[in-house]
Amino acid sequence: MLQMSLLSLRWKDLIAPWQEVDWLLFALSAGVMVFGGIMIHSAELSQGLNNGWQQWLFGCLGLALALLIARYRYENLIQWHWIIYGMTNISLVAVMVMGIHAKGAQRWISIAGFNFQPSEFAKLGIIVTLAALLEPQTASQLSTVLRALAVTALLWILVFLQPDLGTSLVFGAITLRMLYWGNANPGWLLLLISPVVAAVLFNTYLPAWFGWAGAMSLIAFGTLPWRRVGAIVALAVNLVVGELGQIFWKLLKPYQKDRLILFLDPDKDPLGSGYHLIQSRIAIGAGGLWGQGLGHGTQTQLNFIPEQHTDFIFSAVGEELGFVGCSAVLYVFWLICLRLIVIAQNAKDNFGSLLAVGVLSMLVFQVIINIGMTVGLAPVTGIPLPWISYGRSALLTNFIAIGIVESVANYRQRLKF
Amino acid sequence: MTRLATQRARHRPQSRKKQPANNKIRGSKLPRFRLLLVWCVLLAGILGLIWNLYQLQIRQGPMLLEKARQQQMVYLRPFIPRRPIIDRAGSVLALDQPVYTLYAHPKLFKESKETMAERLAAILNRSSAELLKQFRARDSGIKVALALPEEIAEQISNLHANGLELIQHYSRLYPQQSLAADVVGYVDVNRRGQAGIEYSQEKLLERPEQTIKLSKTGIGALMPDHAPPGFLQSDGLQLQLTLDSGLQRIAQSSLDQQLQKFGAKRGSVVVMDVRDGSILTMVSEPSYDPNEYYKSDLKLFQNWALSELYEPGSTFKPLNVAIALEAGVIKPNSQFEDSGQIKVGGWTIRNAEGEHHGLLDISQILQYSSNVGMVQVMQKMQPADYYNWLKRLGLGQSVATDLPFVAKSHLPDRKQFITYPIQPATAAFGQGISLTPLQLVQLHGALANGGKIMMPHIVRGLVDSKGNLAWQPSLPAAQQVFSLKTTQTVVEMMEKVVEVGTGTPAQIPGYRIAGKTGTAQEANSHGGGYSSAQIVSFIGIIPVESPRYVVLAVVDEPIGNVFGATVAAPIVKSVMEALVTVEGIPPSQPVAESTPKPTP
Repeated sequence: MLQMSLLSLRWKDLIAPWQEVDWLLFALSAGVMVFGGIMIHSAELSQGLNNGWQQWLFGCLGLALALLIARYRYENLIQWHWIIYGMTNISLVAVMVMGIHAKGAQRWISIAGFNFQPSEFAKLGIIVTLAALLEPQTASQLSTVLRALAVTALLWILVFLQPDLGTSLVFGAITLRMLYWGNANPGWLLLLISPVVAAVLFNTYLPAWFGWAGAMSLIAFGTLPWRRVGAIVALAVNLVVGELGQIFWKLLKPYQKDRLILFLDPDKDPLGSGYHLIQSRIAIGAGGLWGQGLGHGTQTQLNFIPEQHTDFIFSAVGEELGFVGCSAVLYVFWLICLRLIVIAQNAKDNFGSLLAVGVLSMLVFQVIINIGMTVGLAPVTGIPLPWISYGRSALLTNFIAIGIVESVANYRQRLKF
Repeated sequence: MTRLATQRARHRPQSRKKQPANNKIRGSKLPRFRLLLVWCVLLAGILGLIWNLYQLQIRQGPMLLEKARQQQMVYLRPFIPRRPIIDRAGSVLALDQPVYTLYAHPKLFKESKETMAERLAAILNRSSAELLKQFRARDSGIKVALALPEEIAEQISNLHANGLELIQHYSRLYPQQSLAADVVGYVDVNRRGQAGIEYSQEKLLERPEQTIKLSKTGIGALMPDHAPPGFLQSDGLQLQLTLDSGLQRIAQSSLDQQLQKFGAKRGSVVVMDVRDGSILTMVSEPSYDPNEYYKSDLKLFQNWALSELYEPGSTFKPLNVAIALEAGVIKPNSQFEDSGQIKVGGWTIRNAEGEHHGLLDISQILQYSSNVGMVQVMQKMQPADYYNWLKRLGLGQSVATDLPFVAKSHLPDRKQFITYPIQPATAAFGQGISLTPLQLVQLHGALANGGKIMMPHIVRGLVDSKGNLAWQPSLPAAQQVFSLKTTQTVVEMMEKVVEVGTGTPAQIPGYRIAGKTGTAQEANSHGGGYSSAQIVSFIGIIPVESPRYVVLAVVDEPIGNVFGATVAAPIVKSVMEALVTVEGIPPSQPVAESTPKPTP
């Protein structure tokens, strides 16, 4: 009797540190990772490579790390957040100084034989930093918003200089979403992105640009503490940025322009920058409803899509598993997001809630942009598909993020004594 | 700006909404609304993607699948080389080999045009200035060099330079150049045979074409997954000729020597194995180099030995003797009076040199090549019978052979031949009828082989790499026209011609050779009559005791005091000398000692 209760006590002791975690979230992310390994295996089948094992190995490592992190209190991160911020900056500077060149950018640093991609880990850095900054004082005050923006701007600039357009976009998405969740006025966020919209409108439809500038001016008038000045500044910025955008656009090299706008009409350069998009679309379309079967996708097996095992892995899913497979993958991602939202909602404090939302926005943005890219809706920007695209740094980052969120779930209730 | 904004924000906190008192975002109304918004954005994103996937995979799926198939499948018609042509010893006469055309696209050069020109100049053995001029003329698609051999192409591709393009194609190579050009022929740019065996045996030379479906990878590599097994192996068969390159070369050089010596227009040598009609040598000079056929005069593409007619003259006399003997109108010992001239139907026929020989037997008529005697011999026959005999020998028809463009020989109209005595009379010494050198060889072959007319041919068959015959042409059955006895008699008479008559320059010590000279006036090409130009010939048969080869040499329009004996017989002699060595024909009993006995 005593022994039995002792046994059950021990068992309870054993899982006690994870009593409140969201096991479904662990299972889903682990499942997607295993699936990713299978797809990488299939995409590389004809090349005689097999990075699928690497994916699984690092996936398991990441999962272990996530479990470990989930055991510890996420609140500890608040004390560390400036150190995390500093380390993130140092690693991003390091990659610029001693990084390994690949595909026109410096993204990796080599430590003890392993290549790390600091910009992946920096996504976590920005999430923790923002959550910590918005924790004591929510973003309902403009000063907090501006402080948060100023702090993240440094990270953003460092990534942008690599140049890693994809990651800098992810940073933008994380920042906007976390500010929004942190009670920032939606009008401010709108004002924040308004110059980009204005620049695009200026080059596409002039009346809309005028309208937009006017609307922004009104929003500035309605939401900013210094109404008149704000309205005038917003109007001026939105009007001037059109012209500035034009100048900036002319500074870009032709291939850079192509990369940004070619997804609108990939046939303009079918053998150059448009090739990837066209082939990816063909592969996904050729999958049909049920797909051509794992290892039997002809576009995939005949290597029509370069670097398919990384950013374009979804085209292999589309071709070999069809609409049904794609929908299933999207459904699983949707479920993961659902769990993250639930955790964000049920977190005991702002910090935890913001952490969960940061991770959520990181995953959502990457999933939507990556898949959008493979179906030809978004420009080719080098954003990997979480857990499925081959990439060890990204994989570890995503699992660490899940670990942090699980910690939020695990410690959502105050400890009872 | 930031600082200013924060300061101002601090100054007027009252203008902002009240902060929630607790430290928790959730709970108040606003965050719930925010949650909904986040949720909606997420849902819209995912639904948007699903909608696009639906469009792509379900709506456009079949079209995109078709597109994928199109770019992945390659229907290949691999280049299948023409079969090589080899001689009877296996020496290659014609063969397909890959050559490369070099294109330059200077706009893709990674290095300067000057550097590229210098690097290429070293390989192509051309001046770099000339190349540079080409590079500057256009920035793409410059044809720099044609028909580069494989080793040069390899050197160029080893440069790994951008902007250079090597396009492979196959070219027909004739390693023996002009040696067998008249027999082998050539192929044009479309790889169609235009002359010789290349033309007439196109079906044997072309391997069957096949279309192969292959998968193509993204980088353009072809995958053999759909290919039929063994599609890359061609059958390896070669077309073997009966031609002997060595003999051909000797015949060509001795013919050339005589052509030069006598300033002759052209000449031909034919050697045929009389036992089966296979041709060992067929030379027509002047010839051309089939590798560069486009540089030659069109007329040279004709194989004179079979595409043009000539009046055989005295070389036809032994055939007439055989006809008369076979018809029974004369005996070998029949005698005729040669008074130097004879009147036939108002025309006077004289001997070639106007000489008179007195009483001659048949053998002597051939020895002296007496026109007057031959006219009398053939007058013993009814013109109609004589005409039928000529027809039976194939005159008036073209020789059936495996070489193309054979001319039809000429026999006068039957009615005229019978009506006008002059016609059979001139035919008696080989004028007024015309044939190709090949046909004369064929007819003398019948004298040599015991009376059978064989089909002269040059294709031995298709052989595999080990030399085993995989296919052989079926030859028509030989036609017996003379009896063995008649032909033996005539050949022995011809032996006398070489021994003591006009053919002595063809003698080879130790060998029994039969032969006949011929010196004929050339028929005017523009209408009737004869020009002053002469066509001289010598036909020889070796060895007399068991005839195996007929050798004919014809020389057209030699200059000076020329006869078959002086111009053509030495050619036949040197060819025969080579022939006995090549074929290992043992010497006969010494010819000079005794009168030859008829061989059994």
